[in-house]
Amino acid sequence: MKKGRYVLKRLVRTIPIVIGVTLVTFLILHLTPGDPVRIMLGPYATPENIAILRAQYGLDQPLPVQYLTWLGNIARGDFGTSIRYNRPVTELISDRIGITVLLTLSGLFISVTLGSILGILAALKQNSWLDYLCTFQAMFWISIPGFWLAIIFLYIFGLQLRWVPIAGLTGFVSLILPALTIGLQEEAWFARPMRAEMLGVLNEGYIKAARAKGVRYFQVVVKHALRNVMVPMITMLALRLPWVIAGSVVVEVVFAWGGMGSLLVNSVLARDYPVVQGVLLIIALSVVAANLFADLVYSLVDPRIRVEGGKK
Amino acid sequence: MEELLKIEQLQVAFSTEEGPVEALDGVELTILQGTFHGLIGETGCGKSVTGQAILGLLDNNALIKGGRILYRDQDLLRLSPRKIERTIRGKEIAMIFQDPGSSLNPLFTIKNQIEEAIRLHRKAPAEKREEMVLQALKQVKLPDAENLMYRYPHQLSGGMKQRVMIAMMLACNPKLLIADEPTTALDVSIQAQFIKVLKELKEKLSLTVLYITHDLAVISELCDYVSVMYAGRIAENLSMRDLFKDPRHPYTIKLVNSVLGATTTLDQLEEIPGSVPRLINPPGGCRFHPRCEEAIPVCSQEAPPLREIKANHSVACHRR
Repeated sequence: MKKGRYVLKRLVRTIPIVIGVTLVTFLILHLTPGDPVRIMLGPYATPENIAILRAQYGLDQPLPVQYLTWLGNIARGDFGTSIRYNRPVTELISDRIGITVLLTLSGLFISVTLGSILGILAALKQNSWLDYLCTFQAMFWISIPGFWLAIIFLYIFGLQLRWVPIAGLTGFVSLILPALTIGLQEEAWFARPMRAEMLGVLNEGYIKAARAKGVRYFQVVVKHALRNVMVPMITMLALRLPWVIAGSVVVEVVFAWGGMGSLLVNSVLARDYPVVQGVLLIIALSVVAANLFADLVYSLVDPRIRVEGGKK
Repeated sequence: MEELLKIEQLQVAFSTEEGPVEALDGVELTILQGTFHGLIGETGCGKSVTGQAILGLLDNNALIKGGRILYRDQDLLRLSPRKIERTIRGKEIAMIFQDPGSSLNPLFTIKNQIEEAIRLHRKAPAEKREEMVLQALKQVKLPDAENLMYRYPHQLSGGMKQRVMIAMMLACNPKLLIADEPTTALDVSIQAQFIKVLKELKEKLSLTVLYITHDLAVISELCDYVSVMYAGRIAENLSMRDLFKDPRHPYTIKLVNSVLGATTTLDQLEEIPGSVPRLINPPGGCRFHPRCEEAIPVCSQEAPPLREIKANHSVACHRR
């Protein structure tokens, strides 16, 4: 009961956030200079033709009206029609979203597992060469821009060594480099907090108490310590998701995967409002969903958070 | 009575930013089977370090420089960390700590944490374990144990948590329990309750306990023997009876006289002049000599050895 109410309350609280997200998404585009119709028709278009096309896409309406129309359509699952491709936005997105999700999740998976393992090792062997090595490699990868790392990887492993294909998604092997690019870039964001949180938890009284009772050290780390760092790590996961998506948008363009990233980049250049709005909205909603998920998972990990569900 | 644990010339140093700290400098004490042994001294004198050294739970910057900790004739300092973990901790010697608030893992139920101890040290089928958890909780007089065991630590008061700690450590079935200032973080009324529980356990289970505290009143309630510690050394080992009837070391005498009893008034209360020395640069000779009214020249030059003056009573003082 309490649990159900907590979930419900938390869900209701996302509604204003989602509305805010749609508003910002809409305004950012419509307030930036550039006209999709002019871009589409080219420099020699007549004013009449421009006016006709603008009316066709509803761009002649006042902004509030445009916003409300868009919002109403989205509520019905209609994201509009692309100005550039002249196809429904939902179609364009559903064709490409799988690729982006695949890249985002595999990048996230590498960064979380690698980061957690390195973070734990660094904490267990604090101030050893291993600890310093973990710090060094984390700083190394995080200091390199993603697109550049992608290009270097492509040059070494694709062009020189020819271990992997240099473009496109053609099976598992072609997934390795893009996922690794994102994974290594993001790994520091999990390794560093993991080390810090782990060091804090390992100093807690209950760790010493567990050891005093005869629990094996490995068990102490896995059962008593690791579960206690889960809450901050889940927070980190939710916080980094937007960055991982942003990273995969860029990396995917470098590797010519043709996912949401290239769709977004091309649509921004063409001021293809419906597509850009649609893509941004999907990304924003997935971030909102990730935060919601994190909030709900906290209470599974930490019994102290359940109390928030309501009065006793 | 049989000797259960014997500490000989234990020396422990900590490396700190300011330099090495000689936390223990030749600690000697013997715990007899079936007795409560008090270890008393001011904050920072090395009581807790002694307790943690026994179980090999010292912090990473600690260095054991010498001595022996004999438990049933095996030297715990010579056991590998792995061997201590598997054969000593919990099974033979368990420990409860000062702060009950942080000694229980916040993410697991009371039942889970006590069951873990039972799983590790007692051969019992899964279905019997719940019964054993209940028994452990009832043993320390926790009310409503059937519901309590499904609670999480944050739902319990400090006094209850400390009793859960005892239940958890006793569930391991250890021969020796080290209690490191278990009542210091509790309210006085809760302290009394806790001590009552311990006293009952003492009679029922013939437990052996090393009770570390700075509270003389608690020691006088519970213990049979006492080791008085000062600045990393043992000043005096004696029986509880002698502590009040025949204390020899000037520090012990001051300590006993500084306690407010039912019949003393504030005017009669003695204070010990000066303060506890910092162990980064301890005074030479007897470490108590700067605060001692009976000090003679030799006190500042030579550390007095612990000498037996009668059975179960030894003192480290040049004047005795």
